[in-house]
Amino acid sequence: MKFRVERDVLAEAVAWTARSLPVRPPVAVLAGLLLTADENGLALSGFDYEVSARAEVSADIAAEGRALVSGRLLADICKSLPAKPVDISIDGTKVNLVCGSARFSLLTLPVEDYPTLPEMPSRSGAVPADVFAHAVAQVAVAAGRDDTLPILTGIRIEIDGDTVTLAATDRYRLAVREFTWKPEQQGMSAFALVPAKTLADTAKSMTGEVELALSSGASGEGLVGLTSSGRRTTSRLLEGDFPKYRSLLPSESLSYATVATAPFHEAVRRVSLVAERNTPVRLSFSAGELVLEAGSGDEASASEALEAQLDGDDIAIAFNPTYLLDGLGALDSSHVRLAFTTSTKPAIITPTTAEGGGDGTEYRHLLMPVRLSG
Amino acid sequence: MSLSGVWTDVVGQASAVDVLASAVAGEPGAMTHAWLITGPPGSGRSVAARAFAAALQCAAGGCGDCRECHTVLGGTHADVEVLSTELLSIGVKETRELVRRAALSPAGGRWQVIVAEDADRLTDQAANALLKAIEEPPPKTVWILCAPAIEDVLPTIRSRCRSIHLVTPSTAAVAAVLVRRDGMDENTARVAALASQGHIGRARRLARDPDARSRRADVLALPRKVGDVGSCLRAAERLIEAVKADVAATAEVTDAAERESLKAALGIGTGAKQPPGAAAALKELEKRQKTRATRSQRDGLDRALVDLVAFYRDVLAVQLGSGVDLVNEAEAPAVQDVATASTPEVTLRRIEAVLACRTALETNAAPLLAVEAMTLGLR
Ligand SMILES: [Zn+2]
Repeated sequence: MKFRVERDVLAEAVAWTARSLPVRPPVAVLAGLLLTADENGLALSGFDYEVSARAEVSADIAAEGRALVSGRLLADICKSLPAKPVDISIDGTKVNLVCGSARFSLLTLPVEDYPTLPEMPSRSGAVPADVFAHAVAQVAVAAGRDDTLPILTGIRIEIDGDTVTLAATDRYRLAVREFTWKPEQQGMSAFALVPAKTLADTAKSMTGEVELALSSGASGEGLVGLTSSGRRTTSRLLEGDFPKYRSLLPSESLSYATVATAPFHEAVRRVSLVAERNTPVRLSFSAGELVLEAGSGDEASASEALEAQLDGDDIAIAFNPTYLLDGLGALDSSHVRLAFTTSTKPAIITPTTAEGGGDGTEYRHLLMPVRLSG
Repeated sequence: MSLSGVWTDVVGQASAVDVLASAVAGEPGAMTHAWLITGPPGSGRSVAARAFAAALQCAAGGCGDCRECHTVLGGTHADVEVLSTELLSIGVKETRELVRRAALSPAGGRWQVIVAEDADRLTDQAANALLKAIEEPPPKTVWILCAPAIEDVLPTIRSRCRSIHLVTPSTAAVAAVLVRRDGMDENTARVAALASQGHIGRARRLARDPDARSRRADVLALPRKVGDVGSCLRAAERLIEAVKADVAATAEVTDAAERESLKAALGIGTGAKQPPGAAAALKELEKRQKTRATRSQRDGLDRALVDLVAFYRDVLAVQLGSGVDLVNEAEAPAVQDVATASTPEVTLRRIEAVLACRTALETNAAPLLAVEAMTLGLR
């Protein structure tokens, strides 16, 4: 293996790949970064058994080959290099790196012990990276964090032609987001359950256009692949039955309230300060007004009133303040619409404007109310 | 069937290998999602579990040569998770990660294999946390649990597993492996195989390492060193020291190799400053090695007691003139001495004393006290 590569190109690709290496590797070779030089250029790969990252860059390849070196060390070295071309070659059990007058020699790790890297599934479609990252972040808040219920720690991706639906739930809330994209084939349909943290972290790091690849067929089965600008990430999928969430979304509601998002968010945060952790915040909607209250009786209590539009019967309902804040925080609209049936049935938060409306299905965030005793 | 590939290391277990290989071959009804491999210490439970895992990941059913076989056997395959606990019990915390792993699709598209080497050490809560994951895993997840005996595993767990029982491999089978794989001469191999009582790893060390042989001889010198109370207490102390030395000698090599490979992987010691997280990773390794040492010492002491039982069984054989092969051929003169100086009744009582010590240690008695009680009983 022998090649020459631009310093910035190498440093950026190494930094991106090394980012996904495990800090405490369960086996030593996983702290390694695999360099592969072949006719396509240079590829850098890292793998933590669940997520694999691969960056491809152009390089002048003098001799093809592979080498496994410490990812952290290579990343540190690359940061310190002068702005000159970098020559990398393998020499026995060492990898030599020369850049201007700087020379480094890195120990190689046993490449034969490195686990087989997952194969990239074939491309399903594409969407702008910012749209994708935002959509993922909006549903990731509702995903569960309890590893003993693995299914609920995932984000469900459903592809139906040119519509993609993302959904996540931890049983107390459910977030559903739809967006349109450019599918590889018209009328295709596919679904997968991806670990939420992985999907959110990966989506954030992508730029330009994201290509999404969902498993189909024998090779790369059970994987999701995300590619943008020569950087590819694969993740394993969670297996099992995701809750049938569409039936949880009520088809009609009895009353609707519209509130300005930012003041609402701030008020919830303020009144929940006095309440013990996760004791509910109560919302009472009447014509033109929303009263928020937390705490009661002997404990500290707080209340605050906000302007609100109400269409329908008065309603009093209580929520876990953290969940309510998560739901409001996931919105990107000036106003929020809350749809209710009764105080014991889930409420639905959707984005809207000062003029109201908000029957769209672009983003829906369902919250289970807390039953108030007495 | 002839053993080949990954199965060659599963020594003297033809019928178990038959069942596992048919499962790998996909014969109708042969595969299932949860297995329980039982067998006495040294029968190769974890070797069998890893061989099975490798065979499941290998496109050729366990060729032993491909990258998948190599990485499974070497412990780096992405789709084989091995919980080899050095702890005395496996709690809920350790099992949480397993439950999550069981729900993931395999990265290589074949199987997601989870091996729990000490299923007998699962606490009740941990076992409960695993129940659902073992009962209804995703279609490509396979559990392989290991334990000394079926009864050691909670009924709720074992009723969900297909059971595979390993036997203590015959002396001939163990000796054959030492000759074939380690290039030992027939006699050394036979003596080591006999002395190991079917424990392959132990046999290999006795055959290869003269120090291991002399430390074992130290242990077996004990029956002639117990006389007055003072000598019994000294003998007990000496036994514990001998076991410690034996364990430390093996651990030293493994520990250093692990430390070096982790350092290389983390990029420590090549001149650059220590990368973030490296110290924590090294500390974690050290902790793991320490708990492993504690566990190895318990296992080592148990093995020494098994050796002692075998010694007294040899004594009994001589006293009764049964004419069977001695386990301790190298210690024949000592066996003779003790046999002449005592009666079969005394020998039986001494065997009881050693077995009582094993039982006490299993229930976490302080090692020195338990061994002292034993040496006093060996007078
Ligand atoms: Zn193979």
